[in-house]
Amino acid sequence: MTNLFAKTGFLARFYFKKDRNKLIIWAVVLLMLMVSIAYKFGDLYGSQKQIQAIMPTLRSKSMVSLFGTLGYPASLHIQTANVFAQEMVIFMAIITVIMNFGLAVSGSRGQEDNGVIEMIRAKMVGKIAPLAASAIEIIIINLILGVLYGAGIQAANMAESDTNGDWLLGLSMAAVGIMFGVFGLLMAQIADHSNNAMILSYFGFAIAYVVRMATDVTNPDYTWWSPIGWLEKTSPYHGNNWLPVVWMIVLTIILLGLTFYLNLHRDLGSGIISSRPGRQRASATLMGPVTLLMRLERTTIIAWILGSLMLGASYGSIYNSIGDILKTNPTMQQVFGKAAVDSANQGLVLNFSATIAIVIAVVATIPAIQIMLKLKSDESKGWLELINSKPVSRIKMVCSYSAVAMVTGIITWLVGIGTLFLVGNSTLKSSQQIDGAKILATIWTYIPAILVMMAIAMLIIGWLPRFASFVWLYTAAGFVIMYMGGLLKLPDWTKNVIPFGWVNKVPVKNIDWSVFTWMLVLFVGLMIIGWIGYRKRDFQTD
Amino acid sequence: MKKDVVLSIDHLSKKFGKFEALKDVSFDVNKGEVFGFIGPNGAGKSTTIRILLGILKASGGTATVFGQDVWKDSVSIHKRLAYVPGDVYLWPNLSGGEIIDLLLKLGGAKHSARTDELIKQFKLDPTKKARAYSKGNRQKVALIAAFSTDSDFYIFDEPTSGLDPLNEEIFQQNVLKLKQEGKSVLLSSHILSEVEKMCDRIGIIREGQIIETGSLDEMRHLTRTVIRVTTSEQLSELHNQPGVHGVESGTKTNEVTFSVDSEYLDNVMKYLAGKGITALQSTPPTLEDLFMRYYNANGKQVKEVGSHD
Repeated sequence: MTNLFAKTGFLARFYFKKDRNKLIIWAVVLLMLMVSIAYKFGDLYGSQKQIQAIMPTLRSKSMVSLFGTLGYPASLHIQTANVFAQEMVIFMAIITVIMNFGLAVSGSRGQEDNGVIEMIRAKMVGKIAPLAASAIEIIIINLILGVLYGAGIQAANMAESDTNGDWLLGLSMAAVGIMFGVFGLLMAQIADHSNNAMILSYFGFAIAYVVRMATDVTNPDYTWWSPIGWLEKTSPYHGNNWLPVVWMIVLTIILLGLTFYLNLHRDLGSGIISSRPGRQRASATLMGPVTLLMRLERTTIIAWILGSLMLGASYGSIYNSIGDILKTNPTMQQVFGKAAVDSANQGLVLNFSATIAIVIAVVATIPAIQIMLKLKSDESKGWLELINSKPVSRIKMVCSYSAVAMVTGIITWLVGIGTLFLVGNSTLKSSQQIDGAKILATIWTYIPAILVMMAIAMLIIGWLPRFASFVWLYTAAGFVIMYMGGLLKLPDWTKNVIPFGWVNKVPVKNIDWSVFTWMLVLFVGLMIIGWIGYRKRDFQTD
Repeated sequence: MKKDVVLSIDHLSKKFGKFEALKDVSFDVNKGEVFGFIGPNGAGKSTTIRILLGILKASGGTATVFGQDVWKDSVSIHKRLAYVPGDVYLWPNLSGGEIIDLLLKLGGAKHSARTDELIKQFKLDPTKKARAYSKGNRQKVALIAAFSTDSDFYIFDEPTSGLDPLNEEIFQQNVLKLKQEGKSVLLSSHILSEVEKMCDRIGIIREGQIIETGSLDEMRHLTRTVIRVTTSEQLSELHNQPGVHGVESGTKTNEVTFSVDSEYLDNVMKYLAGKGITALQSTPPTLEDLFMRYYNANGKQVKEVGSHD
């Protein structure tokens, strides 16, 4: 076969057909987020008064570390469209990257793992046609989204928005999606299994994100070092700079060329980093469902714990720049006295900690849910059929998976929040440091919330196993509510939709032990109900 | 429960939504017996077996193993049971050796000299990661774990579908060894020669119903013997004899080949004897013939070459 790309178009059409449900759900969710928020911003931040009220928050270090900064000069007369861009760019990019990693890795390495590519390659198909088809799928879906974003934002017609900015925002989102999608394809060539490819992809993204965060908080000029940071440099509705989009396209082409090169120079089923041959005999520690799960998931578990550590450390490291009242207003100390300034500074730090605590709690929830859901996905993959023919009861399976999920979630949480406070306090003067009681209150508060999220996953596994992945939609919705709820001025009741909203805002407020207790009771109750469903249902292999 | 019955299935049924996967399945497997469970793909073999393992819950009827209910007492049943699924899916990140040991430990057993011997017999490379194994190698992993377990009841669901003939032979030897040790085996298959060689009794399932159970000898009467005969006189009336099918002339004069229903064999032999037999060859019915008779599409009469004209 001389034509390396033979049948690429045919395969791309087939991929669209195969993934249509997934693509439609993603597209609808992403568009709704972007466009509905654009429409809503006219009400939220229509008047100068409303904008003036939110700007200090948006310019605060905690918000800059989360959402980035678009480099609007202090002198700029901030308008609705600017606020919108400031809040949405990084946030939407995160979700876009998650979508593209999923499409890229499952479409390339995932299909190779389950043997589909081998079947396709046996046909009259070019050597890199399947990979090229995956790339086309990624490019087209992102372009469609980019165009719809542009059109949607333009239709929302926010104050001071201009067509150039609307389309820059939309198309730069497409470019960042394609860039990270292709990065995912590249990682799928390097790793020899889709799990590893996914871990490598997120690792790369995490580095880009941390570099962006660190540089945004310290000196935004250096944000050029992070591909995610390029997005901020477009500065929509102010500079309307298309250069970063060109950079993204150039990097995408380089990554794509590298991906094709590696694909052509490796055997089907292998990766650049190949797995070592396994053990001849099981180690003494591999003896039951719990140790099996730990053995299988150890890379994932370690990756999450390390990620959480990085997150805590990087947010902690900017604690000293949060309480910078003295810097901005040196006369304050003379007017109010040192103690009052310290307490005002600490108030800022506590508020910052409360915001970041939710982020870390959500991050810790992800591996807990991921491992809990494995109880269903392992069943679907047929891996549990052999275990189920052994004297291992269903309650033991539930207990094993939930124990590993629970411990992983809690450790990820403890490491993340512990590092945050440890590193954070180390950057502060002792008079401003957060005391142990407040730290403990924060740690305890979110543990039941993480557990309840996990129990909701179990409930669905027990009763509606086919809808198990809806837990992710719920988690994502919860994340949006907690992360953006304040900025979007969502009604307060929306916070009650998700367990993270049921708890007190620690460490600003104190822990509510009655909430703590009934959430633990709820956790146990949901687990038991989930188990009852699991106990009496059929096991199904896809 | 009779003491020598290991597995007892009574009017078992299973619905998936509206689809009736099993309508009526009843059969027993006795102690020390190798029971062949045959049927085409989708007939309900694996569904039946999964119910026996407590992986699926029956919609009706009862099934007991060692006298215990397969759903409620699955854990205690599984202590004395070994199973090889039809599609063996293994954790891609573990090596075959690790999986074998894990399965043994889960059943309270240990890696033994017998395990090593089996690994050698089946020529499995236990250090390979499971994702690199072919279907046959994945089956070997499950087979080695099952054969090196000291169980009382072994269930094999189409265990040789991915094995090469050499490994198939090793599989058969090991099953016969189990039989000699007085173990009971349920072997589901659509490879008839395998079943024919090893099984004491068979049950035939089609579209969720058991349509026949019994020993192979008992079943032979249900099928037709193929006869090739040369006579001194012409056999002009042969095709009008009851129970005779597919009469075809051979190359020599007065040579014909036909099949005859077993119950009419006596009649036909008498007729032939009157015509002066010079040569006769009879081929016993194979399971293949049985199978074909039961499994022709939609259960209609088999379309036969030159049938009963």
